[in-house]
Amino acid sequence: MRVIDGCIQIIDELCVDCGECIRKCPTKAITMNEDDWDLIHSIGETVVASDPVFYVQMSNYSGQSLVKEGLGYWNITDISEIMGTAFDLAAYSVARILEEEGKQNLPLISTYCPAVLRLVETNFPELLGRIAPVDSPLEVGVALWKKMTDRKDKVTLLAPCPAKITLVHNPEGRETSNIDFSVSVGKLVKALLAGGPKVKGNFPEVTNNRWLEWAGSGGEAEHIARFSKRPLKTISVSGMQNTIDVLKEMELGRLRGIDFIECRICEMGCIGGIGNAESRFLSKLRLKNMKTNWQLNDKETEELKEWHKTDIWRLKKELKPSQREPLSDDLNEAMQKLKEMNRIYSELPQINCGSCGRPSCKAMAEDIIRGQGEVSDCIFKIRENIRELGKEIVELSEKMPHTMRRKDL
Amino acid sequence: MWASLSGRIKTLYDPKQRGVESDLNEVSEKFTVQGGDFASVGKASTAMKSALEMIGIPSAVTRRVSIIAYEAEMNLVIHAGGGIIQYSVFPDRIEITAEDNGPGIEDIELAMEEGYSTASDEIRELGFGAGMGLSNIKRNSDDLKIDSIPEEGTSLLAVVLLES
Repeated sequence: MRVIDGCIQIIDELCVDCGECIRKCPTKAITMNEDDWDLIHSIGETVVASDPVFYVQMSNYSGQSLVKEGLGYWNITDISEIMGTAFDLAAYSVARILEEEGKQNLPLISTYCPAVLRLVETNFPELLGRIAPVDSPLEVGVALWKKMTDRKDKVTLLAPCPAKITLVHNPEGRETSNIDFSVSVGKLVKALLAGGPKVKGNFPEVTNNRWLEWAGSGGEAEHIARFSKRPLKTISVSGMQNTIDVLKEMELGRLRGIDFIECRICEMGCIGGIGNAESRFLSKLRLKNMKTNWQLNDKETEELKEWHKTDIWRLKKELKPSQREPLSDDLNEAMQKLKEMNRIYSELPQINCGSCGRPSCKAMAEDIIRGQGEVSDCIFKIRENIRELGKEIVELSEKMPHTMRRKDL
Repeated sequence: MWASLSGRIKTLYDPKQRGVESDLNEVSEKFTVQGGDFASVGKASTAMKSALEMIGIPSAVTRRVSIIAYEAEMNLVIHAGGGIIQYSVFPDRIEITAEDNGPGIEDIELAMEEGYSTASDEIRELGFGAGMGLSNIKRNSDDLKIDSIPEEGTSLLAVVLLES
């Protein structure tokens, strides 16, 4: 991110859609790129696929059946039951892959958090081969719903974060998304809380609530472990720094013997997403108090096996590295530039004050070498220059031309 | 403190023999590693990774260099009481050197074996000292040279070719 002419500019190839800029912006000038819910909903019956997070956001609409009933009053169809099947299918598929994969190709990394996928593409290209080739259950859920019901309605994803909002318009691991629009979870939660209908509990509680565990950190890993025939060694981390650190350790080959790594860019997992309305701590409490039903019934097991045979769960497209261009295509020239960059950096104050509109002095040195800045962008360097200039002016002012008689003589 | 060490290792390659005109364009960076400072292990390898990415070194090569640097850093921290680590980029290869004034390695061949370690229980409790360091370095190097004199110190030179 750079500030140029008073405006924020994002370097696309480096942005992972983590949402930190939205979280940190003191004036809330940065917003999520979500679709216009009022417009989507004005058409009539609206079909929504919700992120698991949605069901732990409100105390009076807690759980899938109450949410379904509440949304039903507004002519919104929630496809939660089929979403549950998709999450089962994702966990089941990863468990099967972990059984077949040789130890040297483990651990695999979860595909669920799109920001993590982007982070691997931009910063850990050597780990791309370790991404579990299993599509996001959010995508698969909508695909299953379309197949099972034969309906062609446009589907809106209720997403907890900018990364999943982007997933719809710019998907990872597939050409196009099955989902048509994306709106933040918070948008609907606020509407329901402000003027939501009173729910009476008309529907029986849905038996599959396993997939809601994916809202918190560790839920996916647990789900996979439940479907595995052998005991699994999994690591679940959340938050940007933890994710970077665990991927670094993996890249250095230090995580041998581990089967699966679940990373979430947001702290505490998806409940920590910037697009939610509810406190992540209360969401976590609700998740903890939920009686999770890990047991599949015979019908569910049968259905799962059938869908697994279809490959609908598989990642459709290989993920590609997306790194920044090197300083030059020619190695010699690039090395010269790197040397020059290190020299420039060594002369900068190295306190990362941000006044030049860049996140760090390192970024500034790189920008200068790439021709996108000057040393005088640094307020400390320009002050040094002014001091030098001031000295020169004083020196010059003392040099009186000999035509005039000098007063001090 | 480590000034006396520089120059102990003579470069493994004579540039002329390899058909490269000169090594004058080399980029190198030096890092000082403190003994026992587990918290900053990885600093040098991370800096190397970002520098190599910047000049367009293929990511597979960069990864091997990072692993070598990380394990070498770890050895300096665990066994040697600190030292210096340096990387140099040449037109055809990357060299990683690590030098220390530590206790030295008595039997280099034995130390290279997977699982062999002289690390203390305290260090093993921290999850390090599994005896994989040197064998990891060897696995990721195209050439490796270790000079060690007991009670004086160890120098290590690992070479990763850009095209192997």
